[in-house]
Amino acid sequence: MLEVKNLLVFYENALAINDLSLRVEKGQMVGVIGSNSAGKTTLMNTLSGLIIDMKIKEERKGGERITIMGEVIFNGEEITHLEPYDRAKKGMALCRERHPIFPESDVLENLKIAGYLIKRSELKERIDFVFSLFPALVGLKHRRAGFLSGGEQQMLAIGMALMIQPILLLLDEPLLGLSPAIQIKLVDAIKNIQKEMGITTVISEQFARPILPMIDYGYIIENGMLTLTGSGKELMGNPEVRAAYFGV
Amino acid sequence: MLQGTLIYGFVNSVILALIALGFNLTFGISGVANFAYGALYIFSAYTAWMLLTWLKINYLISIVIAVLLTSLLGGLIYKFILLRVRGMPISEVIASFGIGLSILEFFRFLGFVGSEYTLPVFIDGSVSIGETYIDIQRLLIVVIGIALVSILYLFTHYTKTGLAFRGMAQEERTALILGINSDKMATFSLAIGSGLAGVAAITILPLGQVAIEGGYSALLNALAVCIVGGLGSTGGILVASVLIGYAQTFTATYIGSHWMMIVSLIAILVILIIKPSGLFGKQKELEERI
Ligand SMILES: Nc1ncnc2c1ncn2[C@@H]1O[C@H](COP(=O)(O)OP(=O)(O)OP(=O)(O)O)[C@@H](O)[C@H]1O
Ligand SMILES: [Mg+2]
Repeated sequence: MLEVKNLLVFYENALAINDLSLRVEKGQMVGVIGSNSAGKTTLMNTLSGLIIDMKIKEERKGGERITIMGEVIFNGEEITHLEPYDRAKKGMALCRERHPIFPESDVLENLKIAGYLIKRSELKERIDFVFSLFPALVGLKHRRAGFLSGGEQQMLAIGMALMIQPILLLLDEPLLGLSPAIQIKLVDAIKNIQKEMGITTVISEQFARPILPMIDYGYIIENGMLTLTGSGKELMGNPEVRAAYFGV
Repeated sequence: MLQGTLIYGFVNSVILALIALGFNLTFGISGVANFAYGALYIFSAYTAWMLLTWLKINYLISIVIAVLLTSLLGGLIYKFILLRVRGMPISEVIASFGIGLSILEFFRFLGFVGSEYTLPVFIDGSVSIGETYIDIQRLLIVVIGIALVSILYLFTHYTKTGLAFRGMAQEERTALILGINSDKMATFSLAIGSGLAGVAAITILPLGQVAIEGGYSALLNALAVCIVGGLGSTGGILVASVLIGYAQTFTATYIGSHWMMIVSLIAILVILIIKPSGLFGKQKELEERI
């Protein structure tokens, strides 16, 4: 479903992604694990196309030079240089790091805005569906999203990504800044989404512990390079991984 | 006397709100402060005048064409010029102000000066409210002003494009990955903002003359209202319009009408000193929670 071939991403002259290749099969849950500044966000932005928009806007201003080499293939189609809004139309949704929702709109309006690509007649049904996934949001319907707690914002952000009816869901550090109890709840919700709706999912994390048990396959990256790959089980048994990413 | 001043002050407030509406909409959505706004305002009035006087086209049709052309011009200015400097506020201001100057001074060069450039009122006549006589055009200004504010509210809260506008105004990158093309939306916002400038001009200018200077004072008034109200806040715009509108009218009645513009200037200065983000500017309010 998704294939990345020999990807290189430079910011100016700094190499953020270095010759990275990966594959995601339909229905899988794939993890990308790396510590701070390993290149997780850069990878997610390259997959979702956000980096293309950043590149174009920087070029216009004569700002930072961003270079992208290699290939991103989605459902057999080369999309390396496609704009993010066109990728969304093809069924790709990204839930950005630190859950940037629309802070001044209330929860309901956030979901309505996120329903931009779907038919008006499907909007209500889709919103109800998101509320059924995250019942905690129902009572907050009319609360301004900027005033929600971190965990609530993250639920909303995932709900918004689901509004576009994605076939591929990219989650950039969804557990960041959440307490362990909330992390467990969210992991359950993510598992449900992937299992029951059959949405292919790529999830990035700093800590391996909460996500290794649920992923089918994992890639460990350091300084933009793959250092280790394997199934969730294999990685879990690996002593190096335990030492570096279990954060005990 | 006081009753009249109160009524005319209200009409003046609506006039200011009408003038500021388009400027505020464009800024609120795309972040572009469109300093060509006054020029677009006058462009629409001259275009309507030309269609009406030279081509003898029906007034209503002339108005519609003029507003659409103004809208188109605004969109084109964005697509071919402002887009390239988007995100660099100083360049946006310089570029749009430069475009505005060229448009206005081009009209001067073509000889659009003098007193023959007037637009007819929509409906002739006047009515009395209590002891005050008021012409129907002024009443229509109030009706159109209130209608536009309501339509814009409904548009931004209940249509897909309007909601996309609101999303883009808050978090452009999140909007992008939800399938919203931000460049297209920004072009739209410029087109709609310019169209609103056109509607304002054609509604307001029948009260006086169409003159190049009108472009400069429209821009100044739009800025005054937006700075006082807080850029991007529609509620703020309405409150600021009422404050400045009444201040201007009272000044004109009790001091002298040539002092009206000074009121706008003083309002800008005072607010910049006391609360630079405007009365309802909300830059700071949310940041801390996120
Ligand atoms: N816009 C940018 N300009 C220059 N360098 C950047 C830019 N964005 C990221 N980088 C650099 O690229 C590298 C990878 O950053 P990235 O944000 O992808 O890491 P990350 O794995 O998401 O980190 P974190 O866990 O802190 O979110 C870092 O060294 C970072 O400093
Ligand atoms: Mg990151």
